[in-house]
Amino acid sequence: MSAEAVPFKVADISLADFGRREIRLAEHEMPGLMAVREEWAQERPLTGARITGSLHMTVQTAVLIETLVALGAQVRWASCNIFSTQDHAAAAVAVGPDGTPDDPQGVPVFAWKGETLEEYWWCTQQALTWPGEPGPNMLLDDGGDATLLIHKGAEFEAVGAAPMPADDDAEEWQVVLSLLSRSLRETPGKWTAAAAAIKGVTEETTTGVHRLYEMAAGGTLRFPAINVNDSVTKSKFDNKYGCRHSLIDGINRATDVLIGGKVAVVCGYGDVGKGCSESLRGQGARVIVTEIDPICALQAAMDGFQVARIEDVVETADIFVSATGNFHIITAEHMSRMKHQAIVGNIGHFDNEIDMAGLARLPGVKRTNIKPQVDEWTFPDGHAVIVLSEGRLLNLGNATGHPSFVMSNSFTNQVIAQVELFTKTAEYPVGVHVLPKHLDEKVARLHLDALGVQLTTLTKEQAAYIGVPVEGPFKPDHYRY
Amino acid sequence: MSSDVLDPGLALVGQPRIDWARRTMPVLAGLAGVFAEQQPLAGLTVAACLHVTPETAGLVRLLTAGGARVQVAASNPLSTQDDIAAALAADPGVSVYARSGLDRDAYYEHLHRALDGGPDLVMDDGGDLVNTLHAERPDLLAGVRGGCESTSTGVARLRRMAAAGSLAFPVVAADASATRQLIDHTCGTGQSVIDGIIRATHTLLAGKTVVVAGFGPCGSGIAERARGLGAQVVVTEVDPARALAAIVRGYRVLPMADAASVGELFVTATGSPDVIGPAHLEVMRDGAILANAGHFDVEIDVRALADQAVELNPAVRPHADEYVLAGGRRLILLAEGRVVNLVAAEGSPPAAMDVSFAVQALALAWLASGEAMPAAGVHAVPAAIDTQVAGLALSALGARIDVLTTAQQEYLESWRQGS
Repeated sequence: MSAEAVPFKVADISLADFGRREIRLAEHEMPGLMAVREEWAQERPLTGARITGSLHMTVQTAVLIETLVALGAQVRWASCNIFSTQDHAAAAVAVGPDGTPDDPQGVPVFAWKGETLEEYWWCTQQALTWPGEPGPNMLLDDGGDATLLIHKGAEFEAVGAAPMPADDDAEEWQVVLSLLSRSLRETPGKWTAAAAAIKGVTEETTTGVHRLYEMAAGGTLRFPAINVNDSVTKSKFDNKYGCRHSLIDGINRATDVLIGGKVAVVCGYGDVGKGCSESLRGQGARVIVTEIDPICALQAAMDGFQVARIEDVVETADIFVSATGNFHIITAEHMSRMKHQAIVGNIGHFDNEIDMAGLARLPGVKRTNIKPQVDEWTFPDGHAVIVLSEGRLLNLGNATGHPSFVMSNSFTNQVIAQVELFTKTAEYPVGVHVLPKHLDEKVARLHLDALGVQLTTLTKEQAAYIGVPVEGPFKPDHYRY
Repeated sequence: MSSDVLDPGLALVGQPRIDWARRTMPVLAGLAGVFAEQQPLAGLTVAACLHVTPETAGLVRLLTAGGARVQVAASNPLSTQDDIAAALAADPGVSVYARSGLDRDAYYEHLHRALDGGPDLVMDDGGDLVNTLHAERPDLLAGVRGGCESTSTGVARLRRMAAAGSLAFPVVAADASATRQLIDHTCGTGQSVIDGIIRATHTLLAGKTVVVAGFGPCGSGIAERARGLGAQVVVTEVDPARALAAIVRGYRVLPMADAASVGELFVTATGSPDVIGPAHLEVMRDGAILANAGHFDVEIDVRALADQAVELNPAVRPHADEYVLAGGRRLILLAEGRVVNLVAAEGSPPAAMDVSFAVQALALAWLASGEAMPAAGVHAVPAAIDTQVAGLALSALGARIDVLTTAQQEYLESWRQGS
């Protein structure tokens, strides 16, 4: 495959009409994004911005992309996961609101559901390649893959070559190395020039933020970054309220089991676990929480949940959900002891919370696919468990992930962060920043009208009494909400 | 007729408390005008066995407003509030036979006094009045048009009487009104039982394992409120349908034999005796708290507790007695095993009783009207009364509801129309 820029690559451009209909519905549920479009319609503060985005190419992301365009930006896009693209959304973005499948006028998008690793990194490279330009001048990243490709490319260009892939390198890293070797040969200096042109990156998620802080600490970060993940209106909202919505949705679509009366075990009582526990209880399940952190365990107990160790309840519960961010939380041995047709699913970011490899290695275990993303694993004694989404994020695998309204909060943070970095570049030196609190509060404010919220305004005297401006920000930075 | 109260001078204390309760009882207040105008109980004598509290005073005054003469006896020696008894006794047309802390003999003597002269209607709370009437005053039975019973416990007794052919007049089972069960049992008892437990112990419920015995209207209300305060609630039941209702609401259901060793607070709300017995007491955790929300003091086997105890520390706090068992475990019994919401707190809040008492008063008016001549036996609250009371309570809450259109009404009444 060539590194030369092509207009776009999606699975099926004829899906654009379906995608557009879903985008219209999503726009109504994304009031924050629609409000910033309106607010900045005249000013178009992103005029001159060339944004490369690497983020799940879904219907909600389409609304984000078209918001960036409405604010004046040019945009190129790739997905940040080989499975997460919604092909109709990608097609609609490529066609654009004013184009047709025969005459696409939208955004160059390189994404389809079920990419190979080679295809995935080719797509990322395409999104970073701007005809007639050294590259983008802004990045919008989710997980940090676009940032990584530029940094590694520039790093290898500085020493003259990419290292040879070693056999014991992870498969994905081998793919990245061979792509960069080819790039160094065909377009030498590309990544160094690209890095120099970039004003900054806005990063969506915990994993990507973690990488950015490591690069900043190691002195290798080449441009400023805004950590969007740690806006209150992002992590406190999509983790808790998004998962509270989509966990139940995923379990229902996968199994249609009556949740009322069941015993559910939720592993982890962080923001995600809290949302999961609340929604399972709301459906009438009795929820048992497992925790390693005494603070979260105490929170669970004070919220009225039984807190137990998984090994003590594994034989009596009906539904197991892992939400820890750690690995091997639900082991093959646990699963072998579960009740017949216990349901096992994960809602943590990575697919290693449930030991699927260990399950597959058990002698005599048999896997029967029931329907997509639902497998029955039968043990030699005849009893079985039902595993959702092969242990990957069940809210995305069995349902459609976070709903539009929740994503509107996250993405409004993204848009505001892009505008901040692009228009106030001098105020953000190289390093990792979070959005100032007044902008976090602005994101929340933009979502109130849609819910009919009537906000009370401080009087001048009240504001003076607690020492805050009448219009906010209202809380100190260390406030935990 | 002369009353028997502790100190008539306490009327001055009781009167403002009755006025206060009346403010939060808008349904009774609304009915008072109707009763005063229509006089549905004109010339009739009502023998009433009630907890003598500011709220029941409102009920008594509604009956007298409707033309009745009322003879009140206390339905529980521990629940009588002497200032209220005094204030009521000062009302024209009312006699009160109630003093706090009376023994059993005096309690029954007061029931007899309330029956003296022969009532036209009876209003009972637990069934002792009706039982005494049948067992010891059969000469008065012929004059009784009917009555109403406000507790589930009392209704169960009446059904057994009726089944044996012993019940001589119609009784309306006021406990089973749907409106009443929701507001008084689930909401009122649910709230005040928690209130009583907290007043008696000051314990934090969040994080506690609370065992609720019985998942009827009261038990489900107690369980729901305990959970709302952050407790983990375990339910025990004998009825599969109710146990299933608890399970699908997300409660853990266990036999008491298993729950006994995990609970930190036990609340009985069953109507049955010996729900917590010697074998349960033997395995309970140190510090466990025992409370009864049921009408009678039979649900926790207090005698077995006393037998197992090597030391009793009475009143470690008001209404909390500590029993030290062999081995050093300490169990805390609240209100001596009597109905904890009335003893340690103030019973159902007035707004809950407002609805119950309205049902009872309207039931007596319905019996007095003679519009239906129900046979001797236990009768459900007429649906019209339930609807009327719910409507009055709704307007008191400021809620507005829809009215069926004529077309909707016809659709619902027709069997010919489908989709």
